[in-house]
Amino acid sequence: MDVIERYLEAVAAQLPTEDREDIVAELRDLILSRVEAREEELGRALTDEEKEAILHEIGHPLVVAARYRKGPDSLIGPELFPYWLFGAKAGLIVIAAVQALGLLVHVLGAPADFGRAISQAFHGFFSGGLTLLGALTLAGAIMEHYDIKPTWLTQWRVRDLSAFGLADPAKWGASMAGSDKAKAEWLPKGAKVWGLRAETPRAAEALWSLIASAVFILWWIGAINFTGLGAFSLRGGEVSVTAAPIWSLLFAPILAWVVAGMAVDGITLWRPGAGRLRAFLKIPVAAAGLWIGWRLFEAGHWATLTQGDQTARVVGGTTNVSLEALRAINEAGRGLADTAMTLGSVLSWALAIIMLCLAFDILTQMWRIATVKDC
Amino acid sequence: MWRQVRRREVDKALFEAMRLELRRGSLVLAVLACLRTERYGYTLRQALAADGLEMEESTLYPLLRRLEGQGLLTSEWREEEKRKKRFYVLSPQGEAMLAALTEEWRGINASLDRML
Repeated sequence: MDVIERYLEAVAAQLPTEDREDIVAELRDLILSRVEAREEELGRALTDEEKEAILHEIGHPLVVAARYRKGPDSLIGPELFPYWLFGAKAGLIVIAAVQALGLLVHVLGAPADFGRAISQAFHGFFSGGLTLLGALTLAGAIMEHYDIKPTWLTQWRVRDLSAFGLADPAKWGASMAGSDKAKAEWLPKGAKVWGLRAETPRAAEALWSLIASAVFILWWIGAINFTGLGAFSLRGGEVSVTAAPIWSLLFAPILAWVVAGMAVDGITLWRPGAGRLRAFLKIPVAAAGLWIGWRLFEAGHWATLTQGDQTARVVGGTTNVSLEALRAINEAGRGLADTAMTLGSVLSWALAIIMLCLAFDILTQMWRIATVKDC
Repeated sequence: MWRQVRRREVDKALFEAMRLELRRGSLVLAVLACLRTERYGYTLRQALAADGLEMEESTLYPLLRRLEGQGLLTSEWREEEKRKKRFYVLSPQGEAMLAALTEEWRGINASLDRML
């Protein structure tokens, strides 16, 4: 077969059947016209190499056929591309955040499996990311091919634009940074985080609190497990920790208390400027925390330590929150009973400090209600 | 002298990309103008080249089909020089479009002339 016919066959294979004959006939005339012009110039017939040089000038069959194709020239056109890019950036950031959180939980739960957890996180990120990019490209290509223009493409409103910060890693980083100095490292001068100026740390605190609460709830309902809490080693062997009945009794109130705290955090993120509303909501949450703390102090028995056939009760209470209790910790030995006594005193002090903070929070929020005028 | 210096500093690849972009919009107008007289693809390309507008076949032929699909050209297969060729010419709709685009082109040209 002649090189020209072979070339035309390759082009024809890429063309829609209804136009194929017509386009190929026209291309054949173009090529033959060029060959004839060149032959006239040289005064002889062209060799196959010379004909091939002309075909090279006309273009690769795939490129030539593509120019005749009806419909869009690209999978994602210039109008849709910014939306595709936003979806890809925001989605990848969310996938990375979810994988990072999962990695943190895995590492805390089973530090020995650190290597496997890292590998799982990377695998999760890459497979999730590729799936996301594939799905976005498929959706974009369908919209492009059928010229679908959803209302969000044409009828957008300025008040809906805040969500577009999701694709900015600087905003995510700044919102998680605790101190103003750390925020400044993420943010350009004068930039805002979730609608708050960089110097206001409330949004970052709320975000961290939300994440920490989510991890706590997962542990509380038994979805994840932290090794070291249920058992630990002590001179003389392994010690197992059994929770006292008060925890079963307070299971639902504690769960509800943490969920309520998450709701307040969510509102802080959603409406960072609503200071009075936040203050109104924080007071009952803090009061509920005080009640739970008081019930724990009243119960006294918090856990039982078991080592072999020996048991010792971890007892907490207001009597443990004293200087004598601290001195007793210093003098305590390393036996099971002394360990239980030390734990009881340390946890009592910790609970007392938490309750003090909650009481202080109630006073702060009351003062805010009296002084802050926004809502 | 200043222009010569500026020209030497121009990034060649960037200039080529911008030159093609600049030309792209004007090619449709040039093709419509050339097809006030009936021509087939090869002679049309020669006519454009003779007036200083070189155009690749792979761009010209699909463009002719697109313009025909938009109703701006009509075409007819006829035998000439022992071979069947497809002849293109402006349709009445194409003539009106050429007049409107010519007016627009002259307006842009005049604006740019004032600025440059």
